[in-house]
Amino acid sequence: MSAQSPQALLATPSAAPGAPAPRPAVSTVAAPLAIKGLSKRWHADQAPVLDGLDLTLEPGTITWVGGRNGAGKTTLLRIAAGLIEPDAGTAEVWGLNASRHRVRYQTLVSFLPAGDRGLYARLTVRRQLEFWARISMVPRPQVRQIVERAIDAFDLRELAERRVDRMSMGQRQRLRLAMTFLPSPEVVLLDEPLTSLDAEGAALLLHAVDEVLTREGAVLWCSPTGEHLDVAFDARWHLQQGRLVRA
Amino acid sequence: MSDALAGAHAFLAVMRRDLTIYLSYRTRLVSQALTSVFSLTLFFYVSRLVHVSGFRTPGSYFGFVVVGIAMVGVLYSCFSISELLRQELIAGTFDRLLLSPFGAVRSVLAMTLFPLLYSFALAALTLGIGCVVFGLRLHWSTVPLSVPVLALALLAFLPFGVLFAALTVVIKQGSVGTAWAIALLSIVGGLYFPVSLLPGWVQTGATLQPFTPATGELRHLLVGTPLGEGELGAVLKLAAFAAVLVPASILILSRAIRFAQRRGTIIEY
Repeated sequence: MSAQSPQALLATPSAAPGAPAPRPAVSTVAAPLAIKGLSKRWHADQAPVLDGLDLTLEPGTITWVGGRNGAGKTTLLRIAAGLIEPDAGTAEVWGLNASRHRVRYQTLVSFLPAGDRGLYARLTVRRQLEFWARISMVPRPQVRQIVERAIDAFDLRELAERRVDRMSMGQRQRLRLAMTFLPSPEVVLLDEPLTSLDAEGAALLLHAVDEVLTREGAVLWCSPTGEHLDVAFDARWHLQQGRLVRA
Repeated sequence: MSDALAGAHAFLAVMRRDLTIYLSYRTRLVSQALTSVFSLTLFFYVSRLVHVSGFRTPGSYFGFVVVGIAMVGVLYSCFSISELLRQELIAGTFDRLLLSPFGAVRSVLAMTLFPLLYSFALAALTLGIGCVVFGLRLHWSTVPLSVPVLALALLAFLPFGVLFAALTVVIKQGSVGTAWAIALLSIVGGLYFPVSLLPGWVQTGATLQPFTPATGELRHLLVGTPLGEGELGAVLKLAAFAAVLVPASILILSRAIRFAQRRGTIIEY
């Protein structure tokens, strides 16, 4: 754990370029991801999709959350990522809140949305990764090294100069994963990450997940079913009627 | 490295991204140049056909309208942000910008850089074609002064694009509104004909936006059209618009994004 004060860390989003983002000193009292009393209702006349949900991810753990389509898995991830706000409750990463400490929060968290969106069709793999590194505020001298590492981590070397609109779905998914893991996040939120991946791609994903866990980060993995996964989840939950029940 | 420097690099990265995407469509620039040629051809012959009071020679009206056409291109660029943002929403790339440390507000502001530089280039191209093909006479002694004035004008215009971007974040539509706004501003901004030809109440309305003084000032510097309110008056007016509208539009964009995040509609398109 860092010896810096929380204030100093909050003011320094990426003190160690290329390395995992520095963890706030408040980590002695906080978890990588702590979700408390989370509620979200999409329509006033419908039941809440999340209803006072609690979930804590401990350092070095991977948690699976399953549930039927529309159960609220994606909503849970979007709130945890800081993309949308809950009606009630909080999602904190190492004690930080997405609204109050936006830059710091987004430095620590990385989110892979479901599907194949989120890519610029006319950019090459390398340009896409460079762009993502830059808006992740990776210091300029580190960009090339980090991009090359991401290319290697997801076996994108042969595709590095290929435009996204000329790639297969599985290749695009590998690129999306490379972007997700590129800034060395502390908390990784994965929404159906195996979509379109072959066995080799899945193995690369699991290796990247292992690296996050090794550095005491945490991973939240959501998919409708988890029985086909060769992953040693530390916890398995089902999202039912807005709450988590042990799977 | 300071946060500010990393932020500056991120701004440039967005501009580089937009330039790369623009260049990947190879016929775009040619198409834009041809559009300018057609517009200039049309008004070149109109200027010879119609004798307009207030213009001593057909050439003086042609010079007046060439600057107007160049400004229409600038207007389109400024208002293109909402459409660019809509494309980001559809592609799902806006989520990524929102979830980056760089953030959504700075990303949207960075998205204005390429259209602004592009509008500079387009205005220069239009004037260049006017000079080379149609014999437009520029006032070369004051042409360099037009660069800072155009930069100031862009700062005054840009908030309108940012406001439409904010509207797009909330209601997911913006392009219809921008088309109306450009058409309206073309008229009240006096881009094709002098504002003095318009009814009195429209002339009053023309003083409430920055396009009229900007176009008037640029016409004065580029082709020597007489200036109604004086050079300093026009520049001060532009500076006042920029000083008020830039922070106001950024605040409104920031609020719009937060509002859409609370409602959960930020991911809709």
